[in-house]
Amino acid sequence: MSDEEVVLRASDLKKHYMLPGSLYAKPATVKALDGVSFDLSRKKTLAVVGESGCGKSTLARLVTMIEEPTAGSLQIAGEELADADKTVRRNLRPKVQMVFQNPYGSLNPRQKIGSALEEPLMMNTPLAKAERADKARSMMQAVGLRPEHYDRYPHMFSGGQRQRVAIARALMLDPDILVLDEPVSALDVSIQAQVLNLLGELQDKLQLAYLFISHDLSVVKHIADEVMVMYLGKPVEHAARNVLFEGPKHPYTKALLSATPVPDPGRQKERVLLKGELPSPIDPPTGCAFHPRCPVAFGRCAAETPHLQPARSSQVACHLMDEEKQPV
Amino acid sequence: MALLEIENLTVEFATAGGAFRAVDRLSISLDAGDVLAIVGESGSGKSVAMLAMMGLLPWTATVTADRLKFDGRDLLSLTARQRRQVVGKDIAMIFQEPMSSLNPCFTVGFQLGEALRVHLGMSRAECKARSIELLDLVGIPAPEKRLGAFPHQLSGGMSQRVMIAMAISCNPKLLVADEPTTALDVTIQAQILDLLLNLQRETDMALVLITHDMGVVAETAQRVSVQYAGQKVEEQPVVELFSEPHHPYTAALLAALPERATSRTLPSIPGVVPGQFDRPDGCLFSPRCAHATEQCRTQSPSRAPAGLGLAFCHYPLIKGVPQNHPGKAASA
Repeated sequence: MSDEEVVLRASDLKKHYMLPGSLYAKPATVKALDGVSFDLSRKKTLAVVGESGCGKSTLARLVTMIEEPTAGSLQIAGEELADADKTVRRNLRPKVQMVFQNPYGSLNPRQKIGSALEEPLMMNTPLAKAERADKARSMMQAVGLRPEHYDRYPHMFSGGQRQRVAIARALMLDPDILVLDEPVSALDVSIQAQVLNLLGELQDKLQLAYLFISHDLSVVKHIADEVMVMYLGKPVEHAARNVLFEGPKHPYTKALLSATPVPDPGRQKERVLLKGELPSPIDPPTGCAFHPRCPVAFGRCAAETPHLQPARSSQVACHLMDEEKQPV
Repeated sequence: MALLEIENLTVEFATAGGAFRAVDRLSISLDAGDVLAIVGESGSGKSVAMLAMMGLLPWTATVTADRLKFDGRDLLSLTARQRRQVVGKDIAMIFQEPMSSLNPCFTVGFQLGEALRVHLGMSRAECKARSIELLDLVGIPAPEKRLGAFPHQLSGGMSQRVMIAMAISCNPKLLVADEPTTALDVTIQAQILDLLLNLQRETDMALVLITHDMGVVAETAQRVSVQYAGQKVEEQPVVELFSEPHHPYTAALLAALPERATSRTLPSIPGVVPGQFDRPDGCLFSPRCAHATEQCRTQSPSRAPAGLGLAFCHYPLIKGVPQNHPGKAASA
């Protein structure tokens, strides 16, 4: 791992939101992201998995510099963001680009595809008009759009094509890192395959690092190199793809895997059905945030917060791992 | 006698650009206790067909069918008043987005009680007792307290449970679930699917599950009907469909699933579903089909026998090989 170029390094990243008090509510703090650390190398894909409210999208907003972290450090291409001045930040921003979930909402309906693609160049580079158009056209070709699409409006495209446009736009500034926030969950299966293939091709060609946010484990299994499972703002398990899918260790990961429907009717499997729903992040449970829903919770779980620690080849935040280590 | 018989159902919408055929000669037959999944991409007419069956489409739609019978009654000849007595009572539906299908202005208790009052003529006290029973049945904790809750106070999974409670309130014979779990998280999805199947088994109602998720299909359905651009292209029991698809579209759809991938590149289907203005002649799937020939592009296919999954194809597949196919040279 050491000789790979790390393009993004997060350590103990936190983002807390203050909720102002009102007549009816006391001021509160939402710990949307509470201590996330990871390294992302060139040409690698890190998938972040979890249910709604687990802090996946907050992570994306921090990495893309849309928001400032409350605590912790974030390094992009070796530059520490916390002590970066305005110029450094300005130079870093093009390195991280984002593709959003819904291609129907993320493109301006009144802007032609060509000008949507050229806009990032206009803002960030001194390129002349003709050069910008050239670059836009070659990028369109790279993502599988036809040249005549240059003068069209977003409504003339299908969902898959729009997502291609969104990917092309994110690539216009030659980024190192692409943050993909559920890029295929709004698409049909046959189109999803096309977009996943495109993402794979582009990664090989442009040496991109992907931060792939998703709740669809089958897609993650296909595309990711490493997987981080999050629950209520905290990572609960972090492992290489094969390790995680073949031997999930955290009870939440196990439940998540068993809840994902598998398109194979012959398969009989044990289902770990979770009771209840995700607790509110304003008022998270004490100790391990997962313990009220956990099928194997014991006394220590409600009292003490487990931390991510190495357990064989993965990292797991669960007290059970300690129990296992002790000789019985 | 089958509970639901649909033969050659066709739905056309009058649009500014002329008539658009959303459902094309669709036939479905369903017995009590059946679980049928209707699978297809967006725009394949899955929801429209079921809405047409219940008479819930706007006036721009023209619904025709050779036969549209539910429980021995001809749904096409019913007056609006008669139909309202069937829909919501014997046929119930669960919609995709629980958050937006509940009325935000009324409490859960009021909305649950509405069907009970209208269809079963229950009194206030009976309504309340039955509502509590229903909420308990769908697994909502402290149901007495939830009766006074407004939809915005419920989470997505809770709202979907309320929707299910409403749908089963009058013990329907047929429940249509239109993408019941698409808007929910996976762990909640597993809970809701479990609940639906348990209810289905206990009450022996027929369940039609409209979905695009092949995983959900594999885990819930007994029989699967695959729809493409408004046409039924294949229908088979679930195990056979996954092990041996007979229509090239079904085969391609299954191959495109990331779970079934053997390499990093997924075998994707080129192109998109035809829209209103680019409907091809002949077989609707021909522009995207790997085996299409001149015959496919010009002539509409006929239906294969049940042994071949009723595949709507000139050259239905057996073990992945198209039958009676003139060969690669002709398909170029």
